[in-house]
Amino acid sequence: MRSLPARIVGGVLVLGLVASLVGAATAQKRGGTLTIVRPTDPVSLDPNLETTAPGAWVYFNMLEGLLTLDDKMQVKPALATSYEVLSPTKVRFKLRPNVKFHDGTPFNAEAVKFTFDRALKGSPPARWASLAGSLDRAEVVDGLTVDVVTKEPYGPILRTLAMYCMGIVSPTAVQKLGQDFSRAPVGTGPFKFVEWKTNTHVIIERFNDYWGDKALVDRVIFKVVPEEGARMIALQTGDADMVLIPSPAQLPALRKDPKFTVHETTGIRVVFAGFHAGMAPLDDVRVRQALLHAVDRKAILDNIMEGSAGPALGVLAPGVFGYKDMQLDKVYPFDRARAKALLAQAGWTPGPDGILVKGGQRLSLSWLAARGRYPKDGEITEAIQAMFKEVGVEAKVQVLEWGAVFQQVRGNPLNHHMFTLGWVTSNADADYSLYALFHSKQVPPAGWNTSRYANARVDTLVEQARRSLNQTEREKLYGEVQDILAKEMVWIPVYTTKEIVVSRTGVKGFHVHPVEYNLALWKTWLDR
Amino acid sequence: MLTFVVRRLLLAVPVLLGVVFVVMLTIDLLPGDAVTLMLGEHATPDAVARLRDHLGLDKPFLVRYLDYVGRVARGDLGRSIQQNRPVGTELADAWPATLQLTVAALLIATGVGIAAGVASAVWPNSLFDALARLGSLFGLSMPIFWTGLVLIVVFALWLNWLPVGGAGSLSHLVLPAVTLALPSVAMVARMTRSAVLEVLREDYVRTARAKGVAERWVLGRHALRNAFIPILTLLGLQSGQLMGGAVLTETVFAWPGLGRLMVKAIFARDYVLLQGAVLLFALAFVVINLLVDLSYGLLDPRVGRQG
Repeated sequence: MRSLPARIVGGVLVLGLVASLVGAATAQKRGGTLTIVRPTDPVSLDPNLETTAPGAWVYFNMLEGLLTLDDKMQVKPALATSYEVLSPTKVRFKLRPNVKFHDGTPFNAEAVKFTFDRALKGSPPARWASLAGSLDRAEVVDGLTVDVVTKEPYGPILRTLAMYCMGIVSPTAVQKLGQDFSRAPVGTGPFKFVEWKTNTHVIIERFNDYWGDKALVDRVIFKVVPEEGARMIALQTGDADMVLIPSPAQLPALRKDPKFTVHETTGIRVVFAGFHAGMAPLDDVRVRQALLHAVDRKAILDNIMEGSAGPALGVLAPGVFGYKDMQLDKVYPFDRARAKALLAQAGWTPGPDGILVKGGQRLSLSWLAARGRYPKDGEITEAIQAMFKEVGVEAKVQVLEWGAVFQQVRGNPLNHHMFTLGWVTSNADADYSLYALFHSKQVPPAGWNTSRYANARVDTLVEQARRSLNQTEREKLYGEVQDILAKEMVWIPVYTTKEIVVSRTGVKGFHVHPVEYNLALWKTWLDR
Repeated sequence: MLTFVVRRLLLAVPVLLGVVFVVMLTIDLLPGDAVTLMLGEHATPDAVARLRDHLGLDKPFLVRYLDYVGRVARGDLGRSIQQNRPVGTELADAWPATLQLTVAALLIATGVGIAAGVASAVWPNSLFDALARLGSLFGLSMPIFWTGLVLIVVFALWLNWLPVGGAGSLSHLVLPAVTLALPSVAMVARMTRSAVLEVLREDYVRTARAKGVAERWVLGRHALRNAFIPILTLLGLQSGQLMGGAVLTETVFAWPGLGRLMVKAIFARDYVLLQGAVLLFALAFVVINLLVDLSYGLLDPRVGRQG
């Protein structure tokens, strides 16, 4: 049996040792209440109904999956202790013994099967079913052994099972609470549910029978404060210990202030200006390349994002499995002369009003964007629009509310040349993005190939990588995909999000995770 | 009197039916749909179709409308699309907070507004009148979210007297209620000033003064009572305004009321929840207007007899 092997288990042991040494040095304190303010109330606390951050931030501390992702983005054991690949569609997991749910129900293979059946066979299926690829079911082998079965060979299975929303739920609690389970979930995690007052707060407290290291604080209160300014003031007055989604404008001052700690790390969402590669004139690769040269991405990062985002080095974020640095800054440096030369090569010549023309057609692009869906999406769109103008390209930007933008980009045909979007590789596996975004059969509504990109070689590679369970081979295949994409650019990747959390200095032991939803609070303690 | 009330309440039925129709139609015409927004960027078309079917969203508009009206008639407001909770429960959770906030703001608006207006009318063009006028201009023109933040900075951050936001105690209510009341205070004060000034010019006031009635009585019994009808009308309208304005105030002060619930429902295209909330607002409007109409009769006996 391939133990979640020595590498992982050993890693955990070593990490544990280091943690206890560090702990000894700084004398962790137990107890106290950690108060967190964030902008919105959860939709629900049941992953079946809620996969977005407001709910995930809370339930991630109460529900655990078979596997988890550590903050280095490595797969680590959680409720499973080891796995063995039985066939391309079947993986066998050994489960952790002596684990109890918050309601006292013992955790076992039946609970895993119950959770997956409820999510995948229920009506309607769980919100996360769409994230879980070809995951089909779990089969009970014995009390502490379970087989996870996929509909077809599915390489990303481990990272899928390690997603924040794959928490195993207590079957007895689901049966007892029915619909109310979504407001008072019961899992095996280090914290258990106490109270949820809609639009006011959610309270969770330490679970004293937790199988692993017990949480250090007694309680966590998640308060809702929708207004950004008010959220920051609550942190300053001490009404809150920690702010999620802090105001980017205040970060430079907060970084210097000894009263506060700014926790930050590169996230896994890439925000980009996409091209419709199936629509003239963007079907000409020279035009697309010229537009990449025309954009000063560093200026956008420095002046618009003000340190609250990192550079986008490719179409994936660095934490994602299969990521390869596409070296965009080297291949497509900001260079207006080169942009103009490429456009001239493509046959575009300056027209009377400074906008390029070819065969009587102006080089004018229609562009769809929302404002406020992703950090500064409206502002970066306007900045790029101005930069395009410098090389003789007109962009007609249409800013709509997110729901309206969503409907158009999710539809077919798409009648815009460009669109500002963001993409999270939710399961942290390249398959999730490279397949859905660039496979020629994934044009909406089937998938998210909004660029209408079509390359037979890319199709073959992403299919092959999806079906393989050999992770080294998969990594190589994804590398080749990204090499091809770098030549044929159908996006201007603008930035990679940063996950930023600000706390008062007395909050210790907290590490912000590259995946926004993985807000782990059990190692956090209060020094005051 | 009773027939009057019953007739008015019956008239409310077509109003409410119309309100539901317009809200449902608006949501239907808005680009963006509940299911795709709910399932997010990553939903498979199959998942979207199954959920749409589950929620009955693929039925034609009129069928959904009649379904909804039928259910409401039986007292069932449905389940919210996003949270899958009974809309009645959601509204019951949020409604008291909004009511509290609106009533508090209305009390402030009435008390402060009338006092300032009467004082301005009694000493027109005095220093106080000028200050009141300036204050009213300020109160009317400052956006709620700005005044709200300034009050938070002063009273929560600098002075540390009051909490930044949230609900729970009376101290939580002070800042949002004051913020929400400010524009109404200004309007009530202006309206009171002009109404009282007008009445003070009436013959019966001159008569009252001529026969030696004390000034306090002239003001209280003769002037204010007669000036009160337009003020009451304004207060009725304002209470509707206040409920609407609560959306912004609730956001700035993290107040867990109906306004925020509605905004959330709009962004999620959760038409079931939104309709429930709008119905409740519409009902509140109808009731308030009715109460205002009834109270005219108390203030002015001539009005009551016609009903």
